[in-house]
Amino acid sequence: MTTMAATLRAPLWRRLVGFNLLTAIVLGVGGWYAGWFGARAIVGPSLDYFADVDYNELSVFLAYLGGVVGFLAGLGFLNYPLARLRGYPPSLREKETEGIGRYFSLCTDHKVVGIQYLWGIGLFFFIGGLNAMLIRFELLRPNHQAFPAGTYLTLVGLHGTMMMGMMTSGILGPFGNYLVPIMIGARRMAFPRIEALTFWLLMAAGAILETTIFFGGFPTGWTGYVPLANEANPGMDNYILFFALVGISMTLLGLNMIATIVTMRAPGLTWTRLPIFVWGVLSTSTLMVLAAPVLVATLSMEALDRTAQTSFFVAGAGGSNYLYENLFWVFGHPEVYILALPGFAIVLELLPVFARKPLWGYRLAVAGLLGVTLLSWLVWQHHLFVSGINGDLRPFYMLSTELISIPTGFTFVCGMMTLWRGRIRYSVPMLFCLAWFFNFLLGGLSGVFLSDVPSDVTTHGSFFSMAHFHYTIMGGLVFAFFAAIYYWVPKMTGFQLNERLGKIHFWTMFLFFNSTFMPLFAAGFLGQPRRVVTYPQGLQFLNDWVSVSAFCLGASLLLFLFNLVYSLAFAKVPAEANPWRSKSIEFQLPSPVPVHNFDRIPVFSSDPYGYGEAPAPVVAPAGAPAGRS
Amino acid sequence: MSSAPLAQESTDYAVVEGEPPELLGRNLVAAAHLLASATAFFFLSFVFAYFYLRSLASGAMWKPRGVDASIAWGTVVTACVAVSAILVQRGLADHRAGRRPEWRRKGLAALLLGAAALVLQAIAWTQQSFGPSDGGFASVYFGWTAFLFLFVLGTMVWLEMVLATSYRYRGFAAGTTEVAPGEASGDPYRSGADIRDPVSLIRAELEALSFYWAFLAGIVVLTWIVLYLL
Amino acid sequence: MSAGPGISAAAAEPVNHARRVIVAWLVLSVIATPLVAVFLGPAIPPGNGSDEASQQVFDNQVMTAVITPILCLLVVFFAYALTRFRAQAGEAALDGPPLRNEPRVQALWVAATGLIVLGLAGFGTFELLETGAGGGQGPSPIAEPGGTKKKLEVQVIAQQWQFTYRYPSLGGLESAQLVLPAHTDVALHVTSLDAVHSFWAYELGVKADANPGVDNVAYVETKGPRVFHVRCAELCGLWHGYMFNNGLVVDAADFSRWAASERKNFAPVAKYMPAYSHTYLPEPQRRAG
Repeated sequence: MTTMAATLRAPLWRRLVGFNLLTAIVLGVGGWYAGWFGARAIVGPSLDYFADVDYNELSVFLAYLGGVVGFLAGLGFLNYPLARLRGYPPSLREKETEGIGRYFSLCTDHKVVGIQYLWGIGLFFFIGGLNAMLIRFELLRPNHQAFPAGTYLTLVGLHGTMMMGMMTSGILGPFGNYLVPIMIGARRMAFPRIEALTFWLLMAAGAILETTIFFGGFPTGWTGYVPLANEANPGMDNYILFFALVGISMTLLGLNMIATIVTMRAPGLTWTRLPIFVWGVLSTSTLMVLAAPVLVATLSMEALDRTAQTSFFVAGAGGSNYLYENLFWVFGHPEVYILALPGFAIVLELLPVFARKPLWGYRLAVAGLLGVTLLSWLVWQHHLFVSGINGDLRPFYMLSTELISIPTGFTFVCGMMTLWRGRIRYSVPMLFCLAWFFNFLLGGLSGVFLSDVPSDVTTHGSFFSMAHFHYTIMGGLVFAFFAAIYYWVPKMTGFQLNERLGKIHFWTMFLFFNSTFMPLFAAGFLGQPRRVVTYPQGLQFLNDWVSVSAFCLGASLLLFLFNLVYSLAFAKVPAEANPWRSKSIEFQLPSPVPVHNFDRIPVFSSDPYGYGEAPAPVVAPAGAPAGRS
Repeated sequence: MSSAPLAQESTDYAVVEGEPPELLGRNLVAAAHLLASATAFFFLSFVFAYFYLRSLASGAMWKPRGVDASIAWGTVVTACVAVSAILVQRGLADHRAGRRPEWRRKGLAALLLGAAALVLQAIAWTQQSFGPSDGGFASVYFGWTAFLFLFVLGTMVWLEMVLATSYRYRGFAAGTTEVAPGEASGDPYRSGADIRDPVSLIRAELEALSFYWAFLAGIVVLTWIVLYLL
Repeated sequence: MSAGPGISAAAAEPVNHARRVIVAWLVLSVIATPLVAVFLGPAIPPGNGSDEASQQVFDNQVMTAVITPILCLLVVFFAYALTRFRAQAGEAALDGPPLRNEPRVQALWVAATGLIVLGLAGFGTFELLETGAGGGQGPSPIAEPGGTKKKLEVQVIAQQWQFTYRYPSLGGLESAQLVLPAHTDVALHVTSLDAVHSFWAYELGVKADANPGVDNVAYVETKGPRVFHVRCAELCGLWHGYMFNNGLVVDAADFSRWAASERKNFAPVAKYMPAYSHTYLPEPQRRAG
């Protein structure tokens, strides 16, 4: 039995050039060109349909696929499978490096991956936010166009696709990866290499989506409806590749999470002692594993329509755009709960800490999460109420859509009763959690109008529905995301975030978020369709109000960025191990958490919500072996 | 909290990394089931596409004249996959019973049959009387078989990995293997041998693989029924 | 940490918080709900342009009335809880009472949300099946206003980036503007020649997606003469934002006059038009290659 102790130290050239972000980018670009010219060699110039441009769809697809393979090879993802193909036995770790370098290379430490996710997702979140600012800039005036119409549609598409694609992993990526192994008393995720792969795939996908601008952008928004997508620029291929890679990343992320939670819980951590956050991760992961493959399949069909001239979605050639709309929303509705459920879980996880009370109705809260997970499969045609698909099924989808508010309501009642008679402390994470209730309430109540077919006839496809899903996703997910950042980043980095800047950030964000999206309900009811570059003169005041508020919202997010950089890079006030007096296990570890989390695997004797109860130790160190016994 | 931090920083990897191989085996089996679920939903999309487009038959272009998949090719491919999956199942039984050489022979045969299925499928595409642009059925046929091809290819790569490890360590009994640092990753600058007794994982991986391969073979049979028989 | 004092302090509280919240909620709801239902509800668009639009307004009115008490409950609850249960100075180390569950509250909550949801779904279904509410219902509509009474058929043909209207009862007349007679039952047959569009006649409360190869039917019963706006509500490409137009509802006499003059203008091109059909499939839209 040998251990890692005997590792050889790599030579300098190897440490400089070998398998980091730099090699990844070099090989990625190389792979891109290899794919590009490879496709030209296969297809030949006869299939070039733009006389003046010597590329075709296949070039774009193969170039990017080559780029992704090169990128992953440059990071060192191929080393392990190649070794396995030659018969070397399975191993757990690709590489452990020290220092800052591990954040820019393939690292299988779940805590490093969590922090990589935080910055990587944050980067694309801010790029997506910038696109939103440009959209609102365009809409300052009803007729004057700041951007050409095609550029505007690309901005709309980039904003929507980036947010809907990237933010699916917005909480499971950073916080799931970082916290789930700790919360369940494990030292790692079940599949550390796959864990790292999900992150780097996502980064490659983000780069692919952004480079759509070199291929003319794409006009379809995040839904990618055919036939528009079939006739679109080569930039559409970037959308397809982006979302397909995100889908693969989501599937693997969910798979890894479920395998970890099911098999690697520490002794004593029964299903009823699991932190509610882990339940949220589990239900989200279930949706990811099952829904994301549908997305990948749908986009595969679309890719074949564009490259191999199949006719899945071509009406009149044996296909139907209804097929796309059905398949896309079969994925698309679980997708919005993939976005929303982690928000529920974080709010329920944090409320007990700041209300100083146990989580009220634990089983009801879990039932709520699972109920949403189940029902989210049965509602997809509510996106298609006026599309003419299965008109006779609309009463069913109206019922199932409204039924989903019952399990959602469980989250509300559990949260509210947790606050009841508590000793509420208004720290920044708590403020974000409370704002979540306000935002999600408005999002949910506006959803009542959208789920009701007669009312949906007017609100469907208008700014009303746009405001609705911004209230649920931005008001729900993003506010919970910030709650999680303020709550856990001190633990993850070992440095405090500035409380005063945090409070300013919260209040400005809350105020301007509502000031941005509340008027959009009115704009929708007054007849402004989504994704338009121009609108009636009479709606200019509303739109200008919204735009100015949106800019202020953007400024508020910049303030957050300033706080983050200032606190972590300049102020560097060391965080206490347990700044919130939480009973959760991650706060019983030092800040930042040591590489292997626990010297000895803990044994759990209760859930982490015993506030106000007899001060029994949450976990007792014991000599139990790793893994559930 | 009054309780002291539970863990101190420790670099004694021998202590902290000493995970029992059963844990990895459990992980692999769980992953195989999850992967099977994801695969099922992936191909359910194609099943849905098949029946949806067939029921709509837009533009009378579901199966224009002359579009019919050759059942002979489909049957041969499906038979190869099915026999391969059965061989892996039998090989697992051999491995459980301690008959390692029998497992290796059956595994090798299964790998060859799987590869044969891939080659035959590729030939079958060129032998059809129609192309991907010939209507709804043609689209579903080529799309479905193309992605099934990729899934089978991936599973065969996995089978090759398990088989290659079995062959490389055929002289060792489980629990006695001395695996040098870097041996597992095949790279001396990269320490990978942090699993206690990695060779004993062959069984666990084989359990996971045989489940997944049987599941995928089930999907191949379903494909055969839907695309060639219906 | 010691949690004991927290428990005893909370338990000794003589105030019945729950009763206070319920009373405040009842008072607020009783005041707010009628106000919202009477004043805010009817003000919600799309207005009174057609029977379907009025029906939608009624729907919105009912739903705002239903959600007002829910909103009131949450507002009152949070306002009370967040002020009354905030940790006072000096209580920083105290915990609240360890209340983990209250089956009666759970049962009440589940029953209440369940009833509201079923009620709303039943109401929505009833309203939908009455007239179809102006929504696109696909080629075989389940909800037809006025039974099988003869309706004016108008075909809406969407393409990038305009709507064309075809009147089969007027000899396949095509018009770039939608003109409808007042107080008439109209069946709109919406279809597309290229991308997916959505025909949105805002003041009439009509929205129906236009899909290539699909005849999507929506019904509307016009009221008095008026101007209404038509917009495309589904992203359909470059000039989606400019895909709008005005339509007119006119008196029966004006409509006949308009139809006669349009038919005269249309006559020279009529013979070049494709025969009237529920859908028109152009060559498959795919790029060369």
